[in-house]
Amino acid sequence: MSPGGPGTGDVRVFSDYVSEGRDFNEEADVVVVGSGPAGSVVTYELAKAGHRVVLVEEGPPFTPQEFRADGNISMARTMREGGLRSTSGTLMPVLQAICLGGGSLINSAMCVRPPAFIFDEWCTRFDLARTTRADLDQHFDAVSEFLGIEPTPEEVQGPRNLLFRTGCDALGISSEPVDRNVRGCRGSGECYTGCRVRAKQSMDISYIPEAIKLGARVLTSLQVQRVLREGRRAVGVQGQVVEPFTGRTVHNFTVRARWVVLAAGCMATPVLLQKSGNLANGSGQVGRNLQFHPGSAVAGVFPRDLSPIFGGTQSYQSLAFLEEGFKLETMWSAPAALAVRFPGIGAELVKRFSEIPRTAVWDAIASTHRSTGSVRSRFRSMNPAIRWQLHPEDMKIMLRSIHVLAEIFFAAGAEKIMPGVHGLPDELHSVEEAEVLRDHPIRPGDLVTASSHVFCTTRMHGDPAQGVVDEDGRCHDFDNLYIADTGIFPRCPSVNPMLTAMALAHRQSESLKQRI
Amino acid sequence: MGLVLAFIAVGFLVYRRLLAGYPEADPRFVFLRRREETFLAATAEVLFPTTDALPLSGGEADLPGYADQYLQALPVRQRNLVRALFILFEQGTLIWPAPGRGGFKRFSSLSPHQRLVVLRSWESSGLYVRRMCLTALKAVLILGYVGHPQSLSALGLAPWKIESPRVEADFLYPPIGQARDRLLDTSRARAPSPSSSPLIPGVDQEAS
Repeated sequence: MSPGGPGTGDVRVFSDYVSEGRDFNEEADVVVVGSGPAGSVVTYELAKAGHRVVLVEEGPPFTPQEFRADGNISMARTMREGGLRSTSGTLMPVLQAICLGGGSLINSAMCVRPPAFIFDEWCTRFDLARTTRADLDQHFDAVSEFLGIEPTPEEVQGPRNLLFRTGCDALGISSEPVDRNVRGCRGSGECYTGCRVRAKQSMDISYIPEAIKLGARVLTSLQVQRVLREGRRAVGVQGQVVEPFTGRTVHNFTVRARWVVLAAGCMATPVLLQKSGNLANGSGQVGRNLQFHPGSAVAGVFPRDLSPIFGGTQSYQSLAFLEEGFKLETMWSAPAALAVRFPGIGAELVKRFSEIPRTAVWDAIASTHRSTGSVRSRFRSMNPAIRWQLHPEDMKIMLRSIHVLAEIFFAAGAEKIMPGVHGLPDELHSVEEAEVLRDHPIRPGDLVTASSHVFCTTRMHGDPAQGVVDEDGRCHDFDNLYIADTGIFPRCPSVNPMLTAMALAHRQSESLKQRI
Repeated sequence: MGLVLAFIAVGFLVYRRLLAGYPEADPRFVFLRRREETFLAATAEVLFPTTDALPLSGGEADLPGYADQYLQALPVRQRNLVRALFILFEQGTLIWPAPGRGGFKRFSSLSPHQRLVVLRSWESSGLYVRRMCLTALKAVLILGYVGHPQSLSALGLAPWKIESPRVEADFLYPPIGQARDRLLDTSRARAPSPSSSPLIPGVDQEAS
């Protein structure tokens, strides 16, 4: 390996290891596993404090020439298990990134601060004392300032986002432009397949380059397979070099460090702990309590052309129903990917495709607190076995959210909607027809849902018997082992989690700086 | 002797059901086998028939070619899962036959009307797993069909013409799989003038 250390940060990619042609070892003060939003914040903050930090990422770095507009191919390249990861129990696709920058490369850049009542619930139910909104606001501010988070400007909203506002206004529902980590958005709507405008401040172009300048070493294409321990201390990580896309392994590596931060994501972190001899699991909670924000989308067809290709991917939202358990937002994706949810076979399906220029798609993410599951490691694989069951009461919340979306669509002037609920008509043509959504006896599987928001598998809890980490993300069982990803959330946060994960990581960094 | 004959007979029937009678595979395909190609072409024909709504039909959109590219992009396990999905539909008529004469034939051997009825039965099935399988199959094909350049152009959804501005990170990461000497040279790399003005549909899109 080339020299590393403070002031000489660099990034290593698969071809570097191949050309060196051997196993290798690294040493650092801190090793951070996972370059998603939380891991990147920790890496940057600790590098800024002058510590020798090594950031290990399993996926490769992507540049604009690597982005693919096709939804299938893009997901196969940037997501775990080729974009085909799913839960058992209630079958649901789970979209998780594998690339430098993690989910920030292919999410819609939504940055939402959960309201105070969410954190109050966390504190009350999970014996937390310092995790109120007021406690975290300084950390939200720090991250927001770094990333230039601002409300989406009017000029890049486009008709399909603004119609959402129109519908909400007509019904007296509060709505607002989405705050995003974006600088210079041009309304390409390409967030999910990689921002070619380079406006989205994903971690690979924001925190990570800055961390490298400060001396952090970034090692991509390394799959961590084990946390090394000596007694009750973690002493590093070990794994293999993996080729991007093929998963072929070529060399072994070890990174020894005095402090270990796992930020591999809500699925990979518990698997890693389980593969490391059930590490940090004195509470028995590692891999348990899994929660999602399952999303359900409704498509609405308007009488006029919306030029839906233009506009921020997800630029308008309503937080009015958070206490009821759902959040409403607009969305856009590769057009063909949106068309997947259209019902029908044959000529009727093709006709619906022809209506895409007049179609807007809005979605709801639900806070399904009653629906829980687990993550377990698989034999000879670092991919998790995910079990999750959607609770009937949570399904009612999701159906309610679809009904509200239907009302907003018709209030905005839609001529028909496609609710996507099995057992109901494919299309509803008026708010009166949409009343069938109100009392429909919904069953498991009647909704096609998906989620990229995953939580709670290494939850924080004030009581070491009931949680894996404390409020600073430190494992109760291990003095120098930290977890920094959405797995530490004690409950699903009801809003898009990236900003909260980063704020918590920022707080962890402050704690780590004092302890190192 | 009788047992041997029975085995041979069963083997013949299995061979006939699973493998026999398919045309030669297109040599340009890396992963797609001839039975998969036949199945996909037969599905595309009924899923996306010729209509006035879009300028090309499923048969014209080269969806087997698209599926082959998709299979190439997938990890091995997921590739096998997608192939299993194709087999499930192709052979699923043994369990859920098409109406009418010869309804138990392989999916690709059914008449277009029978194929349409079979796919509709998957879509309206009371079994969630069956409906999800159809959604998965539709997903593979719809992304190829609607994502076809001709479809996108006809819908006014042709990709944006965007020349990505250079950012600092572009000089840190070589293209995936390539050596460090392919890194952009900061002194020579041309930086497109970054435009922050909103894109304009019809003006900033690629020509059809």
